[in-house]
Parts: sequence; structure tokens; C-alpha cells
Amino acid sequence: MIDKASPQPPPVGRVVATEQKPATPHQFHFWTANETTIGIGAIVRVEGAGSGEQEAGKVVYGVVTDGFAYSDLATPLHDVVGAEGDPARAAESPTVRQEIRLWTAAVLRQQPEEPLQPVPLGRVHVATDTDVAQALRMDAYLDGTEPTAIPVGLYTSGGLEAPVYLDADFLLGPEAAHLNISGVSGLATKTSAVEFLLGSIFQHFPPHKGRIAAVCFNVKGPDLCFLDRPGVLEDEDRRRYERLAVRAQPFERVRYYAPFKADGVNLNTLRTHPDLVGDVEPLVWGLREVLDYAEVLLNRDDIDAKADAFIDFLSDRVVDKEFDDGFGGAHRVVTFADLERLFRSIFDGLELGGGRGDTWRTHHIATIRKVRNRLSNISTRAKGLVTDDGPSNDLPWGRFEDRAVYVVDVANVDPLGQDLVFARIVSKLREHLERRDLGVEAVVVFVDELNKYAPADGPETYVKKMLLDISERGRYLGLVLFGAEQFRSQVHRRVVGNAGTIVFGRMDSDELATPGYQVLSPAIKIKLATLPIGELMVRHPHFTQPIFVRFPRPAVLRGRDGVERFPPAADLPFEDAVVRQLVKLDRRVRPNLVKDLIVDRREEDVRRALAHTRQTRPQDAFAHFKKHLGGRVAAAPATARESVPPLNPISDEPY
Amino acid sequence: MSHSWVDAILAAGVVPASYVPEASVGRTDLEEFTGADPVEDPELRVHSLDGVRALAPAAVGFLDGIEQWRVVGYAGVTPIVRAYVAAAIRLRGTDRRPRTIAEDADELAITRLDRLPDAVREALERAGVRVVEISADDAGQPARALPAARIEVQKARAALERRLAERRLSGLGSDEWLVVDGVLSDSSALSAHPRVLGVVKSHGAEYFAGPELERALTLPAVRRTSVFRPKSRGARRDIYSWYLRLWPWEGNDLLYGLLRVEARAHPETVARASGISAWLTAERAPLATPDRRWDRLLYPIHDVETYLRARAPRDLLPAPGSRLPRTGT
Repeated sequence: MIDKASPQPPPVGRVVATEQKPATPHQFHFWTANETTIGIGAIVRVEGAGSGEQEAGKVVYGVVTDGFAYSDLATPLHDVVGAEGDPARAAESPTVRQEIRLWTAAVLRQQPEEPLQPVPLGRVHVATDTDVAQALRMDAYLDGTEPTAIPVGLYTSGGLEAPVYLDADFLLGPEAAHLNISGVSGLATKTSAVEFLLGSIFQHFPPHKGRIAAVCFNVKGPDLCFLDRPGVLEDEDRRRYERLAVRAQPFERVRYYAPFKADGVNLNTLRTHPDLVGDVEPLVWGLREVLDYAEVLLNRDDIDAKADAFIDFLSDRVVDKEFDDGFGGAHRVVTFADLERLFRSIFDGLELGGGRGDTWRTHHIATIRKVRNRLSNISTRAKGLVTDDGPSNDLPWGRFEDRAVYVVDVANVDPLGQDLVFARIVSKLREHLERRDLGVEAVVVFVDELNKYAPADGPETYVKKMLLDISERGRYLGLVLFGAEQFRSQVHRRVVGNAGTIVFGRMDSDELATPGYQVLSPAIKIKLATLPIGELMVRHPHFTQPIFVRFPRPAVLRGRDGVERFPPAADLPFEDAVVRQLVKLDRRVRPNLVKDLIVDRREEDVRRALAHTRQTRPQDAFAHFKKHLGGRVAAAPATARESVPPLNPISDEPY
Repeated sequence: MSHSWVDAILAAGVVPASYVPEASVGRTDLEEFTGADPVEDPELRVHSLDGVRALAPAAVGFLDGIEQWRVVGYAGVTPIVRAYVAAAIRLRGTDRRPRTIAEDADELAITRLDRLPDAVREALERAGVRVVEISADDAGQPARALPAARIEVQKARAALERRLAERRLSGLGSDEWLVVDGVLSDSSALSAHPRVLGVVKSHGAEYFAGPELERALTLPAVRRTSVFRPKSRGARRDIYSWYLRLWPWEGNDLLYGLLRVEARAHPETVARASGISAWLTAERAPLATPDRRWDRLLYPIHDVETYLRARAPRDLLPAPGSRLPRTGT
């Protein structure tokens, strides 16, 4: 926490102003000794010279944005002449030229704030804990009866370090919200930073703001698959945790969700180690879940008024209702299989109906065929997520737990399926938060590869529109988007623009050359391009300038380490996978009985019974499973067909 | 001391003025022929420094001074000059970075008291400023008063430098040298010390004539002359001296890159002359640019001067604007 007793360090520099480089209310220059701890990103405090009435007692806080070094050398040619053209001799000159370390700093805060005047030509000190709190206006939310400070990292400079806090009201709403983090891949920064910050939020979320949970979409590899497992920390990490008053521990409540693989019984995740897979809930959706977000499944060209109207018709009039197809058939469409039967009935009816035309209930047969193709396509492309038949298994809507992380692993799901998962879960979160019946008051949604879901250019997809909606209105609901991407410039500007807190890890030089980074000085850009692991640049509404902070590595097992320590199990044979799921539901289940029961049974029937058992969670899982699997139907022997001999028997003669 | 005494005399009736004479180009050598006695060789010869091992003191103090002055008012036609003189020694150690180890400064008023109205004179006395008087003859003629004032400023600076250098001698380490910008012979202490050098870069005095003069003034680069003994002039002390050429003069002028070195009048000086010369030659780098005397100005001396000018009162510098009459707006 803030160390208010730290002694006042001696001055390290002095503000200078010339006609060419004057001090202004927003920028100033100061020099230091050549050997100094000051560097780019350092926070300094300037004390008024005290010569004028107004300057006496005036304190200005600034952050170093650029640095210059130069000597009294009038022209490089003079150095050549002095060394007689020999670079080796240049280093041997008896006297070192006078040189200067001149720094440019951007003003963070002036005290008093009025009248706003140029920075006084005073002494420059390295900032202490208290200074950092003042400079970053953290005092407004660090103290008081209801503090809202969330530790984000340690500002470090010259041996001094100070905790930096974000304001929960501006990170998680309602004043501002959302966090966007950019950085090149492979440096364990983006995901690690979000994991640390989530841990910090869970520990420091102000009680008066209620309960909070997080939904994290794992979109690549094993990144988020081991959040409940402790990671390896070094002493320095522990010290940083202690300094930030954050407990170094993994998340206490983590719920994993992953769809099945195409076989419908093995989970499509890297968290399949026998010790861990028991925690993973299958994510299975049926027709109703998909139909509500059918727009996601249709590409831009598909979305026409006719298809839209037909989907609405299905959703409103057909699904989950008794329905007469008009050809004498009665349907109750609950599953994809039911829907397929309805479609067949319609096509048959239209074909057999002779002159009844090409329309059914005002919908043209071409439109019906197109919608059918798209809907059946999703059950193929996202097989394992979408079930043709049987009940669904979903996140615990209405029963979200406080300080719980819900990890939805869609890393190995088809992109279309990822879109569907993302759209549906976020939409459901929004619905429940609007109704205030989710179980928590705020939800952080972490989405990596944001440039994929909300690209700066490209078609206006449902997912992009939804992300825009969250970005612009989510803060009122408590729906907070933590987005990460490699290249910020490739994300829709309204999505990143609405993020109240922006975090930068190490950046690619090409990315830094894009217009979005013009406000940064060349020195800041270079620092960003060479930022070490564990250091970030943070922009926050209370900070008038970006600040560099260091954070400890997250106290959870990193994805790569997790996969090594808990290697994913190979896919089980169908029977074993069924057994494993039933045992997970009821430890009394005897595997051999299950295997005997399902041998020679159709896999679809087994999956359906298993899904029902999983959804029902009965006391006696095996009995329930057996009941829903039904009795074995003996195969009827094939009756011999009477064949009609050919009129002209085929001769044995080959020619 | 602030320039409050200037305000006091202006309040006493002095007509304000603001005239900054041309900046001093440094203390000049005497502008006369004095002659010299041979010491090292029977006649002045040229000594090459090729292959000479340069003296390499562990620490060297460099001493220089500055003077700044301005006519701040006139009482009738008698000028009242405000002068500021300062001197410093900056010691260069093994890290090759000069650091100030001694400095002093003085402010004085130069005028002719008996030509001032009583009120002005009393104002000066009350202000406590040190007053240096010019002669009555000079004071009566403005054309002579300012050169006379300038001489007084130079004297004050020289005295300040001398005091500072002499104070330093007592603390001079066994492997520490002191290099003074200018002549040593003003001070018996300095001129007798084995590790003090005077580096003279203005050559008003002529010690030779004929072929020896030509040999001295056409000295090739990185060469020195024989050590000689300048003939004693007035109160000046016995000293050894030699010329040293830092840069080729061809294409420039005879004095380009030419230094005259002064050291203790002692046989050891003769033995060390080449080593000292090689050392001073090494001091060519870094160049003392942008100073226009860079060809003869050692960088550490330039550094002392820069230091002193950075600390001098800013109001004594020439105003950047023109001297056109003010419009009254």
C-alpha cells in the first residue's frame, strides 16, 4: 500500500526553460546529472522556486516522456578534427566534454490546480509513494469511506517504487469501463496481465459495489485452462504482491466449460488430464439456443429480409410448439432432428402437392432451403457444441457466483462456432444483467484476439455489433469488456475508443508507426517496442499521461506449464468416455455395467441418454441413464426377397 | 551583492546608462619587446615532440577568470562602471571530468569619487560596494575613462585569479598540477612552484628578433622551441618559457595554434619541457569550439570560463536588442 512515511529524496534535477524550449502548463524540461536514475516514464515532482508569491508552495508532477543528451560540441566535424580522424583517439582525450542529460516531462498534475500556469523553474525530485498517488490523482479514490482502488502494478524508477491503482468506478463502471490491452504475442504479457488484474479485482472490488464474476473465452491453446492451479512465483513476484497488497493465490472458484469433440463424448479442451477433467462442464446447445442467434450463423449475403422472416417464423411459431405443417403432419420441434423432419415434410408436401406453387406459409421454397442449409450446416461445423438431438448444457444463468471465473474454452472450435458461443454468452449476460438476475452485479468478459471479433474493417457482423454495443453501453449494466489483441490499430476504433483503461505491452514497431500512436513521443515508442516481460504502459481516465508499471507474474499456472504438468489425456474410446461422464455424475457407477449396457447401441441414443442424465443429475445416474437409453431392440432378420430372373440370362461367355 | 547600489545611485541623481563594452579577449601579454636569455640551447631551436612521452598527471587543476562590466550611469560626464570579476579552479581527475574545487567572485564600482555629487557618493558609501577609482585625468575625459576603467577591471580579475591560485597551492597534491590561463610571473608563489604552468595564448610581448623570432613564429605543428628565460620586467618574477605549436599555422596566421608556456625557472623545467609540451598537445582534444580562440584555448580552460559565465550576473551581458532609442510605448 501507499507508504506515506517515506522520506523526501534530495533533488535530482532542475527545470530549465529557454525561448526555444519554454516551460508551459503542460510540459517542461529539466536537467539532471549524467549519472541519474531518471528515465523515460519516471514520475517527478517539481517544487516552485518560491521567488514569486504564486510559485511558493506550488508543486507540479510530471512524467518523463523524452530525453536528450548532448555536449558542447559545435559540430561533429570538430570531434573529427580533435581526434585527427582517429575514432580511437577521440575516446582518449584528456577531458570529457561537458554534456547534459535534458529531459522532457509532461505535466500530470499541478497543485494548486488554479491558476493553471507554466511550470516553475524549480527543483526536481523523484516521486515518492505519496507523490505518485497525488500525481496520478489516485488520492481521490484511495482514501475516503468507500475507496475504489484496484492495484494494477508497481511504478518503479531509480530504486523507488510505488503502487499504482485503477479506479474501479472507471475500470468496471459506471463512470467509465472496459480495458483494452495490446502487445505482441508470445511474451506472456497480455494474458498474464489480465490474469493478475482479475485476481486483483476479485480481492479489491469494493464491497459497496456488490458481487463480480468473470467470463473468459479461451480462444487459443491452453492459456486459461489452469486458472485454479498455483503457478511458480519468484521472490521478486512475491515481494511485488506484498507491496500491492494482493494475495498471491490462484482463483478460488473457476468453472470450465468446453464443447464436445465431434464424437459427442470427449471434451474439446486441453484440460483433459484425468485429475482435472472432472471440473470441466460440457457446453452443449440445442436448436433453441442456436436459433435465437441464427444471425450469427448467416454471412452478410445471407441476411436478407426473407431469410430473416423465415427464421423469425420458426422461432416464434414452430419451435417448442405443437405445429401443423399444412400437409397433414403434426410436429413438435425441439431439436435439430425435429426441425429436419419438419423441413422434409414441407419439401415433400410441396413436391407432392402438384400445383400448390413454390411457397409455404408465404415463404418461398428457396428461402426455406437456404435457411435449412445454414442451420444444418452449423450442426455439422460445430458438431460437439451443437447437438442434433438431446438436451443442452449451458452456463449457470441466474446462478453466477461472486468472485468466480467462468472459462469457456473454444480454442479448438470452428470459427463459426466460436462466434456463436461468444455472441450467445455475451447476449445472455447482457439480458440477465439488465434484469439483475445473473447472480452478480458485474461481469468482466475477457476476449483475446479482439481484432478477430471486432476488426477495424470488414463486414458488420453480429458479433462486431454486439461488441460495439457492450463497449458503448455495457458500463451501465456492469458488463465490462476486457479485450486483448496484438494490433490495436486492427480493432474497431469505437471498441478500443470506449475502453476507459488502455494497457500496452511490448509493441511492434510497425504498429507504433500507425496514426493511433502519434501522441506518444519517440522515446515512449522506443520504450514500448522494447518493453520487458512484466512491464506495461497504462492509460486510465485519472492519469493525464500514460504510466509504466510492473506487475508480478500471475499466481496461476501458465498454460504452457499446465500442459506440461497436466498433459491432456488422449481421447477415450466411446465407451470409456461415457463411463467417465457417468462416474463424474455418480461415483457409484460401475464401468463394466455401463459398457455392457451400451455395447452395440447406437451412439446417438447413448449420447442422448447421457445428455439427459447430465442435465437431470439424478441420484442414481446409472438407473436414469439406463431408463433413457431404453430397451435393446433386437435386430429383425432380413427377409429373403424373391428375385425376378432376368429375361436374358447373362452368358458365361466373356465375349 | 545585488545591484541594489546601482538603484541607489540612480535614485541619487545619476543619469542611467546601459553600455557594455566589447568583451574582454582575456588578459593580454605585455605589448612590448623585452628580450630573452637562452636556457636550454645557445639560441632558439625547434624541438620535435615525436615519440616524447607525455607527462600524465593524475589530477590537474585549471584556473581561469572572467570579467564583465557595464557603464550603469553618468554623473555629468564621469562614468560609473559596475564590474564583476570571477575566477575558478576546476580539477580534472582520473574520470576526466572537471569539477569546481575553488571559486571566488567580486563586484566593484569604478569611477572617480571626487567628480560625483555628494548624494551619489554617499549612496555608494552606504551601499558598501567596493569602489575603485580611476585617475582624475582619465575621469575628466570620457574617451580615456572607459579604457582606464577597463584596466582596473583587468587588474581586479588578475588579482582575484592570483589569490585563488595561491590559496590552492597549499592544497596541491603531490601528483597534481595547476594550469593557469595567463602568465605566472605576476606571483612569486606561482612562478616558484614546480607543478604550476602558465599558458599564454596572446602574444603581445616579443622576446626575440630576427631569425630567432622567425623560428618562434613559424614553429611547425607539434613542435616546441628551446626553453628561454624572458628578461625581467618590473616586478615580474624569474620564469622559464617556451613556445609550443598545437596546430599547423600554414593557411592561417603566424599566431595560429601558438602557445607560450611558463614554468618555474629551474633545471627540472628544462628536463620536463618536452613531456609537458606533449601533454599540452594532447589537450588539443576536445576542441574548445565554439570559442573563436579555440586553436590556442585548452578545452579545460574553456570549461572553466563556461562555468564562470554560467554563474555570472545575467544583467551584465549585452542586451540582445538594438540600441535604438525607445519609442516610449
